[in-house]
Amino acid sequence: MPSQQPWRKKLTHPMVWIFVLFFFFPRFPFIGQYLSLGTEVMIWSLFAVGFNILLGYTGLTSFGHGAYFGIGAYTAGIIFLRVYPGFWIPLLLSIVGGAFFAGLVGLIVAKKRGIYFSLLTIAFGQVFYFVAFRWEELTGGETGLSKIDRIPIGIPGLFQVKLSNPINYYYVCWAIFLIATIIVWKIVHSPFGRVIQGIRENEVRTRYLGYNVYFYKWASVTLSGAFAGLAGGLYTFLIHSAFATVLDWTQSGNVVMMNLLGGGLVNFFGPILGATIFISSRDLLSAYISRASYALHFEIDWLFIYGLIFVFVILFIPTGILGLISGKKRAVLR
Amino acid sequence: MEEFLGEFSSFVMIGLVNGLVYAVVALGFTLVLGVMQVINFTHGVLFAFGAYFAFTAQRYFNLPFWVGLVFAPILVGVLGIILERVAIRKTYGGNPLFGLLLTFGMATALEAVIRMVPIWGKVGYSVKAPEFVAGSIELGFMTYSKYRLFLAVLAILIIFATWLFLEKTPYGGIIKAGAYDSEMIMALGKNLPRLRMYVFGLGAILAGVAGVIAAPIYSVKPAMGTDILMPAFLIVVLGGIGSFWGSVIGGLIVGMSKSMIVMVFPRAEDIIPYVIMAFILIFRQRGLMGEKSVLEA
Repeated sequence: MPSQQPWRKKLTHPMVWIFVLFFFFPRFPFIGQYLSLGTEVMIWSLFAVGFNILLGYTGLTSFGHGAYFGIGAYTAGIIFLRVYPGFWIPLLLSIVGGAFFAGLVGLIVAKKRGIYFSLLTIAFGQVFYFVAFRWEELTGGETGLSKIDRIPIGIPGLFQVKLSNPINYYYVCWAIFLIATIIVWKIVHSPFGRVIQGIRENEVRTRYLGYNVYFYKWASVTLSGAFAGLAGGLYTFLIHSAFATVLDWTQSGNVVMMNLLGGGLVNFFGPILGATIFISSRDLLSAYISRASYALHFEIDWLFIYGLIFVFVILFIPTGILGLISGKKRAVLR
Repeated sequence: MEEFLGEFSSFVMIGLVNGLVYAVVALGFTLVLGVMQVINFTHGVLFAFGAYFAFTAQRYFNLPFWVGLVFAPILVGVLGIILERVAIRKTYGGNPLFGLLLTFGMATALEAVIRMVPIWGKVGYSVKAPEFVAGSIELGFMTYSKYRLFLAVLAILIIFATWLFLEKTPYGGIIKAGAYDSEMIMALGKNLPRLRMYVFGLGAILAGVAGVIAAPIYSVKPAMGTDILMPAFLIVVLGGIGSFWGSVIGGLIVGMSKSMIVMVFPRAEDIIPYVIMAFILIFRQRGLMGEKSVLEA
């Protein structure tokens, strides 16, 4: 939030009311009871907002960031089960894990742009899936990791928060989501953010202006990988387990879709809207579809509808919901 | 020693045959990628449709194998052209993101269609090899399935035919020029939208024919498309985007390395091609046979 604005303007900033909404979500009538769903929405929103540094601001389409989410998930689980059964340490290392592997892959992919970049991210994204699947001693293979508890946090002897209570975990995630979103906001509105937007608009010109384009692209891949890792770690603690399916490429597709659906290409907050709609409608839709299948005596595969929605969004609302509302036809994000 | 030689050569043969199937799949994929600049996620599901059409012809209509071999790829080609005309063409020239997500959504929906079709369903099936190549052959030091040898010959013929088409016919010249500079092709008076449609159809046919010939050695199941698409990405990257021989050699490298590593360290089967890809990319940024192309702009 730009500091030169008067406090009254700060209060009407979208970030304020988004987080107020999420803060009071557990008190909402009817939907407030779905705490786990609410937590999941925030985790995916965090992932998508961080991912938008790369997708919306740098203009690079990664189709492999599900891998770093998965690495974060596994790191948190493995550290918890084998090294240190805490909360903050595994979570911190899940950020490190996501950033490290994104940075490693970034060394190769950051040299590319456009469709070649996407192709490389797909190719590299898969390798982590196979590693998780095959390295059974570390990752549990097909059965994955389980019994990852949320132990209480706080200062010993002073106060304690029991994370095993879903409402407490909800608010911890809320706070982390808030901090992460502010950090992403600061990043994209910093001089660094200006440079990556320059790369999106014209990479060659940015290079001729003297910027080390390779470094900026690499940093953008790595930063978004760090947020993906953090989201993955939070997700592991939410579901108390980690499976190879979190590394699947459909996850990579999902986060791109969330960004696009909400309007991540035209608005900073698009990814949050997209993730909210995506996660909540996924549960709602699959319930409706199974009911319809029962009525029709014909099993409609939920992925059929899911795929068609992708097609519909790309063809008819390519700049997402916020793009549709603001009438922006082209991807421009400031 | 003799035993080892037999085992070794059978692994080589498995790698070769799988590699040739990968190569045919990757050829169609890289053709579409080169000309349309679209990462075509439906390529895998088109492969699966080829296999399912052949399976249906055999199981439900009692037709001989060659009927499936001829007509299933044509049906898949028609399906591909429909997809291209209805939706995929709307993403040309824009952000690569859109083509990627559109085909990703289509592939997901089409794979679900396979699960929803009552006579196909969720379970896996096997397709019988044609009579004259059923059983196995004695090669002295090893016995080998006749069908796999037949498949290898078929795959080589398909690769050769594709090469002839691309190198020795005027259509091939236009396609290659289109991959190099599509705007110039239009300026020279060629019908670019139609060219793209045919190229997509050709890519679909290659996916479909690979599905048909691979059906007797793979289990025919809904996820078979996704399973074949992953090596295709790898092959195209390590062989070099848009390169014909890059795809063929890349396919063989992936097929061979997977089957070789099984002898010494079976768990690394899925991972070894990625290690090779990373190595190649470190030393050759554009892959083995890749050249600087418009895709990088």
